[in-house]
Amino acid sequence: MSDLTGQHLVRGVDHAAFPTFDPAATVAFYRDVLGLPVVHSICAAGWGPEDHPDFIHFFFDIGNGDRIAFFYYFGLQPSQRLDRGDSFAQFGSDVPEYFVRSRHLALHVDSQEHLMEYRRRLDASNWPVEMQIQHETIESIYTHDPNGYFFEITRALRPVTPQEDLDANLTIDALVDIVSSPGHTLEDLLTRKAELIVERAAGWQEEQERAGAAPSEVRA
Amino acid sequence: MSRIWFLDVPENWTIIDVASQAPATRLTRVGPYVSVESDGPLVVDRRSAGVRHAIWYSCVAGLSDSRITQWDKDTLRIEAR
Repeated sequence: MSDLTGQHLVRGVDHAAFPTFDPAATVAFYRDVLGLPVVHSICAAGWGPEDHPDFIHFFFDIGNGDRIAFFYYFGLQPSQRLDRGDSFAQFGSDVPEYFVRSRHLALHVDSQEHLMEYRRRLDASNWPVEMQIQHETIESIYTHDPNGYFFEITRALRPVTPQEDLDANLTIDALVDIVSSPGHTLEDLLTRKAELIVERAAGWQEEQERAGAAPSEVRA
Repeated sequence: MSRIWFLDVPENWTIIDVASQAPATRLTRVGPYVSVESDGPLVVDRRSAGVRHAIWYSCVAGLSDSRITQWDKDTLRIEAR
């Protein structure tokens, strides 16, 4: 048996699951508007020690064999609604909008043409695009699905370079290092990260060159 | 001495240029990073760098013995700690 220790073995999203109280609109949005095929469903009677209702668990193909899935529970009513949120969680007016929007699903497309095709489909539906944002590295469209889930489709304007992977790792190591100190700030992180750059960046570059990596887009 | 670090990606090039064009600055490369240091404060004007907000507000990779005293839509200012 091969030694799997330390190997990166997972292969993408099998499924990410969300509850729905409106399966008809959910099917309309994902299957009919976006064109994501229904690829699996489970019709199940409730069982178990809890008072579990009968339910349907249904899946849409989001590309690469990955899936988004929903649960529809027969007879379950939404709990008391607060001001904002979605079918899973609601938030009062004390919770900032950026926090409410922080949890979202983003699907990937390969080109602007493909992004604009999804924009066209959404704009012709009950769930038109609410925002289209392009900056130097990505372009995204956003809407909310019929369950209130914040939904994004995005494309990269250029491939991620190897040095950005290094940079991401230094950022995260710096974050882990400073996050237990009380009152930590972005400036604390950037200070720690500069130390990590000095410790590791030159060695990383030498390793890249030894491995014969094609020089990434680095200015001389 | 104030010293700021940037990752060498195309989006940051004009920012690095503007930061290092100020008098008495020194530019050092360490792996895929570039640092710009100065005996006095380092000031970068966003419009001179010609970058929009998403890049502007994520362009700093690190700070050595320095602190950010201004980082708004117009100016990034770094001073010795």
